[in-house]
Amino acid sequence: MAVATPSEAPAAADAARPGRFRSWLAAVGILSPPVSWLVLFFLVPIGIVAAYSVGALSFFPGDQALSLGGWERFFRGSIYLSLFWKSVRISLTVSVVSVLLAYPIAFFLALGAKKRKYVLLLVIIAPFLTSYLLRVLAFKVILGDEGLINTFFYSLHMRSPGHPIPWLLYSQFTVMLVLAYVWVPFVALPIFVALENLDQSLLEGASDLGASRWQTFWRVTFPLSVPGVMAAFVFVFIPTIGEFVTPLLVGGTRGFMYGNAIADLFGPGFDWQTGSVLALFLLAVTAALALVFGRFLQIRSVAAE
Amino acid sequence: MFTPTSKNGLRALKVFYGLFVVFLYTPIVLLLLFSFNSGQTPVFPLKSFTLRWYRELLANHELLGALRTSAEVAAGSSAVAVSLGILAAIVLVRRRFFGKGAVSALLISPLVVPYVVFGISLLILFQALSIPLSIITVMIGHVVLSLPYTILVLVPRLERIDVALEEAAKDLGASGWRTFRSITLPLILPAIVSAFMIAFTLSFDEYAVASFVIGRQVTYPIYLFSQLRFPSRLPQVIAVAVLVMTASILVILGTEIGRRMAERKLGAELESGPAGQL
Repeated sequence: MAVATPSEAPAAADAARPGRFRSWLAAVGILSPPVSWLVLFFLVPIGIVAAYSVGALSFFPGDQALSLGGWERFFRGSIYLSLFWKSVRISLTVSVVSVLLAYPIAFFLALGAKKRKYVLLLVIIAPFLTSYLLRVLAFKVILGDEGLINTFFYSLHMRSPGHPIPWLLYSQFTVMLVLAYVWVPFVALPIFVALENLDQSLLEGASDLGASRWQTFWRVTFPLSVPGVMAAFVFVFIPTIGEFVTPLLVGGTRGFMYGNAIADLFGPGFDWQTGSVLALFLLAVTAALALVFGRFLQIRSVAAE
Repeated sequence: MFTPTSKNGLRALKVFYGLFVVFLYTPIVLLLLFSFNSGQTPVFPLKSFTLRWYRELLANHELLGALRTSAEVAAGSSAVAVSLGILAAIVLVRRRFFGKGAVSALLISPLVVPYVVFGISLLILFQALSIPLSIITVMIGHVVLSLPYTILVLVPRLERIDVALEEAAKDLGASGWRTFRSITLPLILPAIVSAFMIAFTLSFDEYAVASFVIGRQVTYPIYLFSQLRFPSRLPQVIAVAVLVMTASILVILGTEIGRRMAERKLGAELESGPAGQL
């Protein structure tokens, strides 16, 4: 079905440039498979979650019938709201650190490295394409009680065996470190694309007019790369704010995040109504972010050619 | 000629890049190391060299089954995602129509929804429709997740193809389908392969959404996660991870190099005259 559809559109266009209406109809025809897929399996489910959060829909006896009670409890100083702010802090830190780390890399690749820049970029991106779970697992090996770092300190007799550094694993710090590690290659991409597409003659112009390298950077290069930085920031912040797998593996109780609360409510906690409230609230926040930063999220900002 | 960095600045950036690569690859190298270590737990100091874990994983039918399931899910979901992505990209690039902004926003929007939210939404949908959870439900979810990526890969590629090529084919009497098959499709083939690889890798490794909508038959990440609780299984898990990682890096490097070569060839052909294409 999916393969047969393209025939319709060019054929329709072929019919002597029909009217705008027919052309529009053809576009709708070709678009209907992808759009309906997303409507059916993406928009409708979210709508159902919204319905569930106010009790318009219910599968289990424990749910409240039609009421805003779930939302009220959520906003009236529930533990979930403070958990949300904790997750915001974690995600913000991760996003800022990732961008700070990735910027010099992207700058080097786009403006410093010459011929081999795509190879060097690929070296950075490759880990992003390997198993997420495994990269997280690797950090357990590094940060664990008998891991790389603790055994290093044992061998220097700076800590006695059996007394590992307490905050190294199962803490907020670990969650942030691992998240930054996981996302940093992805962050470098949009910044790289922004710097790569920068009109080099502007830099030469600035320098011809007497600007130092430093001035050129702050007055020309950096401002022009801001869209890339923004895109990078949003692309880390949105997935990390809802993160629950990494905290599950390396966070312990101290690294518990908002996403864990949602996953729990749909798992062992078994309170789908409250879970729907939490999920929808998170979605509203990320949607608002996407709208505000939407103009930076151009297709080209992530598609590295 | 203006250089954006001084010599020392460039040197500093190079050193920073080097350290960054070390940071990125240390965990991966450690896994590689421990996959050959005879100790039951991945701790230092290393014991002796062994291939025992690799031998054991080849006899672990649960694990091999999970890998196979993941390959099936990934192949199915990426085939669907790429097909849908081609349709979407062609319309987005070649046509202007009312509501285009809204449609492209919708097509890209799965990128900005946290996986946990999407996962539970799908779970509620399938519950509402009384659809039993299985690898099909995972595939459905993965198509949604991959679709934006396939579009992001295909759109820039389509934009670089001269519309005149397609128009010429039509002027010469080719039908719409034939134009697509003989002109457009071969030209975007490298991008289709890239899109497929990205979708495949995404699905093969996807845990968060799958964890909500998986049935009895588990995929590789789900299996992996369940094994992390048993320390005795860890060496095997690490060994299989190394194999999968190596395979995926090789495949990605391979397709990337192939794509660049194809693009270079295409570039040369386009410059030497589009007439040669027809």
